[in-house]
Amino acid sequence: MNTTSLSALEIVLRVRAGELSAMQVLEEHLAQIAAVDGIPGQLDLPALPPREEQKVHAFIQVTTDLARQQAEQIEAKVARGEDPGPLAGVPVSIKDIFCVQGTTTTAGSRILYNFRPPYTATTVARLEQAGALILGKTNLDEFTYGSSSESSAFQPHPNNPWNTQHVTGGSSGGSAAAVAAYETPLSLGTDTGGSIRQPAAFCGVVGLKPTYGRTSRYGLIAFGSSLDCPGPLARNVSDAALMLQVLAGADPKDSTSSIQPVPDYLAALAEGVRGLRIGISPDYDHIAYPDTETGEMGIQAIQPEMNQAVREVAQVLASLGAEIIENVPMPNARHGIPTYFVISRVEAASNLHRFDGVKYGYRTQKPVQDLTELYRVTRAEGFGLQPKLRILMGMYVSAAAHAAHYYQKALRVRSLIRADFERAFDPTGPYRLDALLTPTTPTTAFRRKEVLRDTVLMQYSDQMTVGANHAGIPAISIPAGLDPQGLPIGVQFFGNDFREDIILRVAYAYEQATELAPWRQEIPQALRAAEVK
Amino acid sequence: MLPEKITREMFDKLVALAALELDEEESEYLRTELNHQLAAVKELSEIPIDEDIEPSLHGINCQGNPPRPDEWKPFPDPDAILALAPESRERYFVVPDIAQPGQEGQ
Amino acid sequence: MMTRYEIVVGLETHIQLNTETKIFCSCKADSWGAEPNTNICPVCSGLPGVLPVLNAEAVQKAALLAAAMHAEINPVSYFDRKNYFYPDLPKGYQITQFDEPIGKGGYLDIHMPDGSTRRVHIHKLHLEEDAGKTKIEAGRRLVDFNRCGVPLVEMVTEPELHSGEEAAQYLTELRQLLRWIGVSEADMERGHLRCDANVSIREAGSTVLNTKTEIKNMNSIDSIRQAITLEAQRQIAAVEAGGRVESYTLDWDADTGTLRKMRSKETEADYRYFREPDLLPVKLSEEEINRIKSSLPELPYARKMRFIAEYQLSAYDADILTSERSLSDYFEETVGLSSTSPKTVSNWMMNDLLRLMNDLGKSASELHLRPAELAEIINLVESGKISPATGKALLKKVEESGRKPAEIVAAEGLGLIGDEDALRSQIAAVLSESPSEVANFKAGKESLLGWFVGQVMRRTGGKADPKRTRELLLEMLRK
Repeated sequence: MNTTSLSALEIVLRVRAGELSAMQVLEEHLAQIAAVDGIPGQLDLPALPPREEQKVHAFIQVTTDLARQQAEQIEAKVARGEDPGPLAGVPVSIKDIFCVQGTTTTAGSRILYNFRPPYTATTVARLEQAGALILGKTNLDEFTYGSSSESSAFQPHPNNPWNTQHVTGGSSGGSAAAVAAYETPLSLGTDTGGSIRQPAAFCGVVGLKPTYGRTSRYGLIAFGSSLDCPGPLARNVSDAALMLQVLAGADPKDSTSSIQPVPDYLAALAEGVRGLRIGISPDYDHIAYPDTETGEMGIQAIQPEMNQAVREVAQVLASLGAEIIENVPMPNARHGIPTYFVISRVEAASNLHRFDGVKYGYRTQKPVQDLTELYRVTRAEGFGLQPKLRILMGMYVSAAAHAAHYYQKALRVRSLIRADFERAFDPTGPYRLDALLTPTTPTTAFRRKEVLRDTVLMQYSDQMTVGANHAGIPAISIPAGLDPQGLPIGVQFFGNDFREDIILRVAYAYEQATELAPWRQEIPQALRAAEVK
Repeated sequence: MLPEKITREMFDKLVALAALELDEEESEYLRTELNHQLAAVKELSEIPIDEDIEPSLHGINCQGNPPRPDEWKPFPDPDAILALAPESRERYFVVPDIAQPGQEGQ
Repeated sequence: MMTRYEIVVGLETHIQLNTETKIFCSCKADSWGAEPNTNICPVCSGLPGVLPVLNAEAVQKAALLAAAMHAEINPVSYFDRKNYFYPDLPKGYQITQFDEPIGKGGYLDIHMPDGSTRRVHIHKLHLEEDAGKTKIEAGRRLVDFNRCGVPLVEMVTEPELHSGEEAAQYLTELRQLLRWIGVSEADMERGHLRCDANVSIREAGSTVLNTKTEIKNMNSIDSIRQAITLEAQRQIAAVEAGGRVESYTLDWDADTGTLRKMRSKETEADYRYFREPDLLPVKLSEEEINRIKSSLPELPYARKMRFIAEYQLSAYDADILTSERSLSDYFEETVGLSSTSPKTVSNWMMNDLLRLMNDLGKSASELHLRPAELAEIINLVESGKISPATGKALLKKVEESGRKPAEIVAAEGLGLIGDEDALRSQIAAVLSESPSEVANFKAGKESLLGWFVGQVMRRTGGKADPKRTRELLLEMLRK
């Protein structure tokens, strides 16, 4: 049996028991990548050969040598009777927004095309220490700016394994695709407005955004410093829990990382949902969408399968003994995207200041008159449209003349969004929820190029996920079926601060109860095309 | 009163402040998208908020490590940092000089 | 002419804290003389993905300085980003404190030579990180990040100084205070204490604030005095000639003693300040604030006044003895251990100890010769066991050898001869050798007594106790 069909947990158990060699695991996953991934993302791609259209293109870089070294070390440890770690032999892919010494870290941008960091992100270091095999860096929206992964400077961008004419979602699109296509059972992504959960939903995998500060941001190239959360993508809930266990915990190199103790996520998984209170909100069954000329807010229906999936999931959980609480008001959910437009852009614009061609990365080859011209031409050539747009928006809304109106106001609306969740989870309040169940996205994966030029519409695919980033709370997206086109549907559970254990438990219960559902037997198109698995 | 839309003139100033340079097509596209995003953001100003609602810099109440002890821990490889420079000379990062006078700065 | 106008000066000072490490990373805070780009790490050189981590000691020192400046210590203060592009600023923003700084209000009383006291207020006191250094070579700019991230405290005075002299006095007393409480070495030549001045003029008696110019690059207290005085004169001359003062930044050239226009200040950059999301609020509990306040030592001026009152020192002496904290501690400790008057101790220190310190380039705390030893030497001289000259020489001997004074005196036989019999026999010998002088003395030339003392000294190699010798001579001569 091919190890690519094993879960991470199964691989670990067998490698630790000496029943499975890490090298065999590695080689079989590398073969899978070779079979389904096609050419890796690259700068200045000339025409794409037609056969590549059906490929997944999850990776920018496959780090074969690094992974082989790691596999050898695991085998040596097992042979010596030493503990090879809680992720021993498990192939992991890393979103190329994390600095990993020994690799280039591009952030999907020309401006870092050759950047080789002399340090490794804490989350990646923890994976390495746990015995994981780092197979490569996955493609993403440039600097994580986007919800489709199409904006990468490294083309071709990732394709949705379920239908390669459709997007993976973003910005952790390469990560979600790699997991969905059985290239790695685990991937490390980041979630700033929904960038783990939305692609996870689009690609039919599990994606978890931990509580802000639960996982260290050290080594993560920053987008929205008060919003960014590193987190796991996996094909099932226990694998996500396994990976979170390794990632979680305080880091002295990150002042915002939390000293809250880390519970045993795996131990709590199978406790079931009897007596847990799971809420559903009418404010999450549609999206509030603006007229981009007038700014008038209107209501837009979401794809009906999404609300259907939520009802079905609620039914399953009810049958397992959970209490479903309907009509939980979340009145400030509608303000999530406008607030996000302001806060994330202010932080992003500032975080991009350091990319100036002086210290590392790209510098223009054109002759320039002076330093100012160096900055301008380097940044003009090095950044794609999405970073440029975020810089301009961020600078505008934080300008001295506008800051009170936009930025300060947005920070206060954020407090309102947070207050909605506090009220929902308050153990002495009217709802006393353990989890809030919502759709993850308004639609299933849209077609390539369909939304890319409309940056407002693109951002609104995050309307259901972004609340967790503003509030800092954890949230998980899990697969809940396929739509009539065969595209994955995701549902989301929000949890209280540092209660990843509860939302994992709820997700696990649903997953186990629907193990035999027919839709779980479907195979992604890209795999059928490659005739593997 | 804040401007309803960003004019071409305002946009060009913003581009200069951002140390960017855009061609005609990019300028028009980005200016249009910027104005669309501002329209989407407009509703923020209409949200009624009580005086006592504080701004939230982070969603949760961060409980992090206390400030670190004052102990020297040299980075093991400063040369690796210098080696990243697009241009360096005798241990300095090298850039073109600043135009005099009237440049952006301290 | 000058009395028609009043000069208005505000000073902006940046103080480099003497912590071991930088404010947001664990590189060294002081890399003076190091090769370029050797004292750097990913954090202070602005690499992507890294994060600032606050140095606890920088907070403590800033709070202590706030207390010493009579400022209110904010129990919660915040860091903000100040965004702009400049090659010595690797992140493209400086982490500083904009609207909620660690210290609010405050003042420093300065004491002018004419005896008056001026209270100079500061608006606030805040922490921030230093930028790197750049230099121009062959039309290119060379950048060194060694200094990026060094902890600085910035203090801006109200426009309450009215001359180059006052500004110089403010800097002098500030420098003394910084070294006194141990938060900075405050060596202006090494950039530990930097100062920019805002200068304007107005009609005497007016309270209006007119257009000001900013003077930069004054690297010594003398430069500050000269530059401000010169600029004030220039402004007055311009206004008298019918022109007006334009808002410029001026660069002081110490070599030529001139000011040069750098750039117009019209275009103020928009720094788009916002709270630094990578750092948590800086919190100081009430206990910590109280502990910091009570850890403040007696400050220089208060100590000077106390020395005058308690030890009856002159203002001049007290001034010198309190110029440096370790020197004043040394003085007071010596007084405590000595049975002589504080004035005597003061004389010893002002004349002899300071000379020794200068020769060796040592501060009082660096001397091997400790107050106990100085007290012992003074006591030996005062009690007549050794001559004053021997005592002075002992200072250096103790410093160099580390041995106790009494030990050296015994070993080298430096003690004065106070034994009466021994003295009598020496005196008798001198008298028998000098019959004509004896006769002259008896005939009334009493001034010869000094000559006889000198002779006894010569015979004893300077070891005769002068006082006792004099007494015995008189007795024996009058017989």
